[in-house]
Amino acid sequence: MNAVFLIIMVVSLGILTVLKPEAVLGIMIDGGKSALDLSLKMIAIYAVWLAVLKIVEKCGLDKKLTSLFSPVVNFLYKDENKRAKAYITMNMTANLLGMGGAATPLGIKAINEMNRDPDKIRATTNMILFFVINATSLQFIPATVIALRAEAGSATPSDILLPNVIASILSAGAGFFIVKICSKILRSRSHNK
Amino acid sequence: MANFILPFLIAALFIYAAIKRIRVYDSFIDGVKDALKLVYSVFPYLAAIFIMVNLFRASGLSGYVTKLLSKPMSLLGIPPELTELILLRPFSGNGSLLLLEDIYAAHGADSYIARTASVIVGSSDTAFYIAAVYFAESKVTKLRYAIPAALAANFLGVIVSCLVCRFL
Repeated sequence: MNAVFLIIMVVSLGILTVLKPEAVLGIMIDGGKSALDLSLKMIAIYAVWLAVLKIVEKCGLDKKLTSLFSPVVNFLYKDENKRAKAYITMNMTANLLGMGGAATPLGIKAINEMNRDPDKIRATTNMILFFVINATSLQFIPATVIALRAEAGSATPSDILLPNVIASILSAGAGFFIVKICSKILRSRSHNK
Repeated sequence: MANFILPFLIAALFIYAAIKRIRVYDSFIDGVKDALKLVYSVFPYLAAIFIMVNLFRASGLSGYVTKLLSKPMSLLGIPPELTELILLRPFSGNGSLLLLEDIYAAHGADSYIARTASVIVGSSDTAFYIAAVYFAESKVTKLRYAIPAALAANFLGVIVSCLVCRFL
């Protein structure tokens, strides 16, 4: 990320210094403003979901919900503790139901509950797998996209559902294999040392 | 049906908490504090990403990279009209939705380009943003191969989308 950030910033700023130096500051502040707008929206959404989640925890329901986790989660994240598995299950359920606002706080809790490497700052294979599956989107019904298409005058706005499910499943599956292969390669390398 | 489940579950939770003698109001406030803390720790990442994306687009660098990548991508069956969307997708959710609307306006919402663009946006997510948010509260700072793996998986999803939308 550091390299990507540095290269894009330096090259973009270089071009703008030549083309329109007077606009640079405004462009950068606009970026900060977009971040602020999104953050305000996030505070509103998470205020609701994290408050509900807090009550779930205070009731001890998060411990009881551990029996809920699916065989899929059990298989994918074998060596995690029950609470982590419960949060992972709830995160995946919220994603599948299209409740992105609830899925995010649950995902953060899941990462916090997951096992650590001894040095604590390196992401474990399970964390990476969980992140990649979230980043490839488990949302099978893209409600926002369908709504935008309908607004744009599409005759059959939901005819993207089947291709969308196929692409979602294949990209999540690819993510799973990429993570597994990477972790194998890295492990065998560290053994050879 | 779905509309009815959520309010019911939350009401049931509150009643259950009251029976268990939990201080619902105080817990609620604690939860909202968590929301503030969370967004506080995520904001720096968001600001950095958005400032970078703004400069990237305003400098014309994004247009240049788009042109550069269009050729090799078309060899994989990806139409050049979609390159910019694919490039922007991992960084900005709102940005890609705006671009999607532009694509609908330019090509018609039922064209092959528009349908494929819809599937690309629908079947992927903003990897950089998710990485920042999900790991914000943990002490984990070394994400190792997490982002490249997510980008590779999503790119495969793009190739699949372009192919599948030709037939379905």
